[in-house]
Amino acid sequence: MIECRGVSFSYDGAVSALDGIDLNIEDGEFFCILGGNGSGKSTFAKHLNALLQPDAGTVRINGMDASDPELVYDIRSTAGMVFQNPDDQLVATLVEDDVAFGPENLGVPSAQIAQRVREALKGVGLVGFERHETHALSGGQKQRVALAGVLAMEPRVLILDEASSMLDPRGRKGLMKACRVLHARGMTIVMITHFMEEAAEADRVAVFQAGRVAMLGTPEEILTRADELARLNLDMPPSCCLGRALRAKGVPICAQVREADMVAEIAQAYAERSGAGTAGQSSASQLEIADGTVPVDNEGNASEPVIELSHVSYSYSLSPRERRRWHKRSVTAGKSSKQALWGNDPSSPWALRDVSLTVRRGEFLGLAGHTGSGKSTLVQHLNGLIRPQEGFVRALGLDLANKKDAAAVKAKVGVVFQYPERQLFAETVTQDVAFGPHNLGLPQDEVDRRVESSLSRVGLDLSTVGDKSPFELSGGQQRRVAFAGVLAMEPEVLVLDEPMAGLDPAARRDFLELIDRLHRDGLTVVMVSHSMDDLANCCDRIVVMNEGTVFAEGTPAQVFAHADELKSIGLGVPAAQRMALALAEAGVPLRCGGLYTVESLADELVDLLIGRSDGPSNVADIAKSKTVAREEGC
Amino acid sequence: MEAFSFGSYYPSDSAIHRLDPRTKLLLGFVFLITTLTVGGFRGLAPVAFFVVLIYAVSRVPARRVLSSMAPLLAIVVVVAVLNLFTDQSGRILWQLGFLQISEGSLHSAAFMACRLTLMMAGMSAITLTTPTLDLTAGFERLLAPFARVGLPAHELGMIMGIALRFMPQFATEMKQTADAQASRGARVTGGPLGGVRMLGSVAIPLFTGVFRHAETLSAAMDARCYHGEQGRTRLHALVFRRWDALAAVVTALLLACVIVVNLQLV
Repeated sequence: MIECRGVSFSYDGAVSALDGIDLNIEDGEFFCILGGNGSGKSTFAKHLNALLQPDAGTVRINGMDASDPELVYDIRSTAGMVFQNPDDQLVATLVEDDVAFGPENLGVPSAQIAQRVREALKGVGLVGFERHETHALSGGQKQRVALAGVLAMEPRVLILDEASSMLDPRGRKGLMKACRVLHARGMTIVMITHFMEEAAEADRVAVFQAGRVAMLGTPEEILTRADELARLNLDMPPSCCLGRALRAKGVPICAQVREADMVAEIAQAYAERSGAGTAGQSSASQLEIADGTVPVDNEGNASEPVIELSHVSYSYSLSPRERRRWHKRSVTAGKSSKQALWGNDPSSPWALRDVSLTVRRGEFLGLAGHTGSGKSTLVQHLNGLIRPQEGFVRALGLDLANKKDAAAVKAKVGVVFQYPERQLFAETVTQDVAFGPHNLGLPQDEVDRRVESSLSRVGLDLSTVGDKSPFELSGGQQRRVAFAGVLAMEPEVLVLDEPMAGLDPAARRDFLELIDRLHRDGLTVVMVSHSMDDLANCCDRIVVMNEGTVFAEGTPAQVFAHADELKSIGLGVPAAQRMALALAEAGVPLRCGGLYTVESLADELVDLLIGRSDGPSNVADIAKSKTVAREEGC
Repeated sequence: MEAFSFGSYYPSDSAIHRLDPRTKLLLGFVFLITTLTVGGFRGLAPVAFFVVLIYAVSRVPARRVLSSMAPLLAIVVVVAVLNLFTDQSGRILWQLGFLQISEGSLHSAAFMACRLTLMMAGMSAITLTTPTLDLTAGFERLLAPFARVGLPAHELGMIMGIALRFMPQFATEMKQTADAQASRGARVTGGPLGGVRMLGSVAIPLFTGVFRHAETLSAAMDARCYHGEQGRTRLHALVFRRWDALAAVVTALLLACVIVVNLQLV
């Protein structure tokens, strides 16, 4: 379907973005392209539908030469492309008009366009959204509209250029599902992604580096090579990490790229080892998952609170009188009205509802929740950007209802918003970082000192980047500068809204380390993220938000023990926890609490798989150790 | 979380929504002229009746209408205040130096305010009931005759449509940037220098954002085979229906009423 021979391309004539790519993609294949930022993936994708023409070499799509200007529109309608950002690829105000945009350009008769729009929306699961406004949709829905817009051109190849990277887990799942269905119907799919779990689903995987194909093969061949992947700024999927960790500990097991396979492999190894029937155990472990209610944090070893929210409610749409009426109604109707099964109830006017929350000095608090769960509104309450309509917020001993105090708190509670590099504006890095301290009215020498120290805290050197324009820097460096801009305020609490969004795996790791270091240096950190794996790895405590209320709160072990409830509100659990639960279901007697990191799961499994060698008689033993562990764990 | 609702489309399926956008634009134009020729309060009555009738048929909630018009009301206030101090006639009610308000100026200020409000309400009815792409298509088709003399009708229509589509987006982005800079201590009330700095710190990211969007949007449009109007078809081809004729008749009636009142035949 796609044939590339020696494709080279350069944007400026000096640095080559693509350097002799040879690649064949078969008809009906699910092909995945991985690679760090700047490896040439997106440039390559743009060659596949003639948005760019190669400097050297040829690209043939379904036999058509992509550099033939006569064939441009044939190629673009054969190979449709979905871009990264859901916000800037939709042309029209209404969903159906946007989906129709492609066929309209192709000159398809009106009646057929209507038919194609219907089919395309059905294909992405958005039937009934025809007359909805595009800007009011969620990111995942927007991306599926973009996908439908491409499908309406009836392409044979679908190119997704990091189409899932700006979505929350639920949006990503929906997009992935739509792709799988299309693939099953024979669509050729070329998917560019940073997510290894997505790559694991592909038929073949190519890894790009510096404009070349560095690795090519099946997911099994590629994703298990940890050292090479790390060198290429990538990661292994968590299931492979688990497999390798087990192997390193001497368990004879093959790393599998898909979680289900890995679970099956371990379960089989366990069954062979113990030689016992495993039916009885699964129910026991399921019981364990289901018991207990939503955990409440124990106040045992709490340090002093730095930010306290109590009974905070906030609504964007209701006037004070309407709010009072709402309360009266909810009191009479009883609190447990309907709860939307899937996502938040769009008719609910509350962004936050009766939220009480404490951030303690020195802790690393994770804030999870899908888009629209009230996370962003909550974040804006933490430093007084929004003053609570109801309830009160105290930060560092000051009441944020007071305007003067709220201004003082802004300097002490630093907020790094999503995609902070978009807020850079000054001529030089130094000036941008100095913006905050200048606003505080500090003397020049103090400003200079803060600029230097905050840049060094984010791993940048004043003398090398200080005089550069922030816009010349790479994406990752820009984000560091934006971090420094907030750190220059010398906050006591750092609030981070999705700090790792849109980064490649290597940059993700670097930023996690950076944040962890800042935390160890004494900052109190609140991190908003929808990656449960990131939260599991670094947080002391996690708060899960849903529909503007606190859904769960506690240590990662406590929160992730409730996988089913989390799933019911559209959130996942960390991959390790997911595998642990699947293993428990498959009959491996694992305790379910606290296994939310790959290391802890591997340690636990090693005991089961090679630790005890006396066969079936150990079942009682394990059961006993399980109860002990549970008491310790929770 | 919607910061911005001026002129934005209210989805529904009323008779007004189903009118051909060309009809709405043309009749809107007639409506504007008609309203401008009204000479007194009595002439505004049929206009007001007409506007109420349109909104009743369109089933756009009153609150939505008001919120979409709110930013425009500032203009009404300015015009009314200007009228208050000019156009003097009749008994003088209040005087301070060269400023004075008379019965005549009070009357004309009230009249201007009512007329402008009605005009804006009438025009909002078009943007509230027509999706931007239809609006631009109608606009484009109406301008099509001028394409022969070199007017880029299609391009103008497309530009207008995309501008309207991105309006709410930019409003959201501006709010986010302003929040972020406010978190770094930026204040509008920090003296003139602080104000300029705050403005720059919001405007520059906004503009770089516009360019970023433009770049990907153009790639996305290219990828969906956009190549100008040549050989383009439409999902909803523009066809005049019976409703359009009816709307034209109603508007003609309005025009007739206003003329009758103006000529003081009643």
